[in-house]
Amino acid sequence: MTEIAEEFSTGTGNTRNVDARRHVPGEPSMWFFVIGDLIIFGVYFVSYMYYRGQDQDMFLQGHAKLNLNIGAVNTVVLVTSSLFVALGTAAARAGKAPDALRLFGIALACGAAFPLLKLFEYIPEITAGMTPGTNLFFMYYYVMTGMHLCHVLLGLVILCFVIRNLRGPAKPRISFVETGATYWHMVDIVWLVLFALLYLMR
Amino acid sequence: MTKSVAPASEPATTRSRPWRKSRKLDQWIAFWSVPFFFSVFGVVFVPLSWMMPPRSPSSPQAQIVDFMHSHNLLIACAVLILAFGLGPVSNAVYLMQIKRMSVSPVFRYTVMMGAITGTIVGMLFPLFCFGLGAFRPGYAPAILAMLYDFGYLAFIGSLGCFCIMWMAFGLAIILDKNSILPKWLGYYTVWQYVSELIAAPVWIAKSGPFAWNGLMTFWLAMTLFVSWQFIVYVCIFRAIKNQPDDELENAWLEPEPASTDTLPRASA
Repeated sequence: MTEIAEEFSTGTGNTRNVDARRHVPGEPSMWFFVIGDLIIFGVYFVSYMYYRGQDQDMFLQGHAKLNLNIGAVNTVVLVTSSLFVALGTAAARAGKAPDALRLFGIALACGAAFPLLKLFEYIPEITAGMTPGTNLFFMYYYVMTGMHLCHVLLGLVILCFVIRNLRGPAKPRISFVETGATYWHMVDIVWLVLFALLYLMR
Repeated sequence: MTKSVAPASEPATTRSRPWRKSRKLDQWIAFWSVPFFFSVFGVVFVPLSWMMPPRSPSSPQAQIVDFMHSHNLLIACAVLILAFGLGPVSNAVYLMQIKRMSVSPVFRYTVMMGAITGTIVGMLFPLFCFGLGAFRPGYAPAILAMLYDFGYLAFIGSLGCFCIMWMAFGLAIILDKNSILPKWLGYYTVWQYVSELIAAPVWIAKSGPFAWNGLMTFWLAMTLFVSWQFIVYVCIFRAIKNQPDDELENAWLEPEPASTDTLPRASA
């Protein structure tokens, strides 16, 4: 608070700094997308809880069959990736493009592990006869994790574009880096809720 | 000097024209066919035939037979197949706007073909199925039940066909550099079509939230779609309204005497 007041009092020289602090990170239209997406996932979470309340035994039986280990590893992988995205964004803002490039590279590698691990989770489940047709729990499981997986894949493509932006001969566009980071954090948040709802809740 | 004159003279000329002579008359006709088309749809689908909201996939056979034999259903299908002819006209408003964007024509053709393939399966198949059941009274109940399944699965399970169409539309808006439509509309379109993908489980679930009359597959997708469609048309209305007359594709059709044509040329 006092810092902002000071910057105002020092006059025109620091107005850019104040702007940087006030503005929404990334493009505002991406925030429109993120909020809309969170609302849709929110509707899914609420309806999941409603139907879970209707038939708790069936949901608990399904829950017991999930692979908690891979789920936990995936959570760690995504959170780590998000951390590197945050560090990379900070480096890009500070003008250290080579550092940012390296950090985003690690984030991309962590993020790419997610779909691979998911594959190791899905295939044994499907071969064991747990398909979306089994019961409502597995329908929710496949629809929600599948939708999230689509978001992860799109996020990996966006991260590749961010890396290209950082690497390019031109000066990197910070707003684009922030837009990509915003999207990637959303993917992370949705997974945290999904992990809690599907794997942890008893 | 000329800069200040040219924009001032243009709105004056557009405003002085009577609406019948507006150069955008074609676009406005296509535009206003949409509310007409959707109101006919709403009236026929809901109060006339009760085709919508969808009936349950697990309803007993006697109920299915009653529904498939109802006389109103036959009338409803006949009316809808006729009114469906307005579909191509109303799709023209999207294509006109995409053509103005700074994107590859591939997007325009994808939207066009997506609309065709999507509506054949999603609109004409169900209407033929429902109309067929009511057409001749002697069909066996099992056949009627199959037509009923076919109709609803085609109507709701085929939403995926529209996905590519809306994906092309959304991407075109995001990539466009002419700012024909607002960027947020592109992102809105993206999550609208992603929610249409969720129509796939209707092929598996026969009851509950993922059946064809379920909370997630029908009600959520419909709520998103209807509100999105409404906002898209408001945005397209503004895009048509803001397009300068001399940018219109049919500007050459009607050589305008005097002021508007000569002024920009003089300035250039």
